[in-house]
Amino acid sequence: MQEHDAEKVRESLKLVFPPVNQELQRDLWPLMLRRMETPTTAVPWYDWALAGAVTVLFVFVPKLALLLAYHL
Amino acid sequence: MNQHPYLRAYMAGVAVPTALLLVGVTVFFFARFVFNVPLPIERVVIFPLTIIPNAFGLWNMLYVKLYPRWKTPIGLHGAILPFLIGPIGFTLAVALGFITATEHGLVAFGVIRIPYGMLAVAPFVAIAAYYLLWKYGVGFLNREVGIAG
Repeated sequence: MQEHDAEKVRESLKLVFPPVNQELQRDLWPLMLRRMETPTTAVPWYDWALAGAVTVLFVFVPKLALLLAYHL
Repeated sequence: MNQHPYLRAYMAGVAVPTALLLVGVTVFFFARFVFNVPLPIERVVIFPLTIIPNAFGLWNMLYVKLYPRWKTPIGLHGAILPFLIGPIGFTLAVALGFITATEHGLVAFGVIRIPYGMLAVAPFVAIAAYYLLWKYGVGFLNREVGIAG
């Protein structure tokens, strides 16, 4: 391919593919801040109680833990 | 990010039991190789390795499908799953000989005796564990991948 042809191909490609806009369309930092300030989900007391009950049961009856491990 | 919601739901569902499989397999390995429980481990892990993750994935897809209509809390949705998985796991365990029924209770893996009275508690434990897993595990992943949760 001659230098002239290469130049023509380059020009054609530039025409077909418009330059990519590398600038951000909007400021993402406020979104990030909003997300960081969103309160994390609070765990209600009954979920703590449930988790505690299951843990205590597994400690005292480890056979159940093995059965549950089979189903998990 | 509205593309392929069911695929994302499936993957979010599969991730939780896959991560927990490490714990389950460790428990079974300790039982087999440390405490010398005669577990046919290669057959025991079939159910937790294949059926459970897929069941979680498909159940989460169903959750995403039903959510716009019913708005069911994800913990409640997950708490229903043991009613489906439990009988399948039990049937498979009996068929493969891991669990045998005796006069006084079940014998799991040939050495663990579980009285029938204790079995009455097992479904409640499973429901509670699944409720928590779905509410905080799958629910969290669903929110992260931008689907209902």
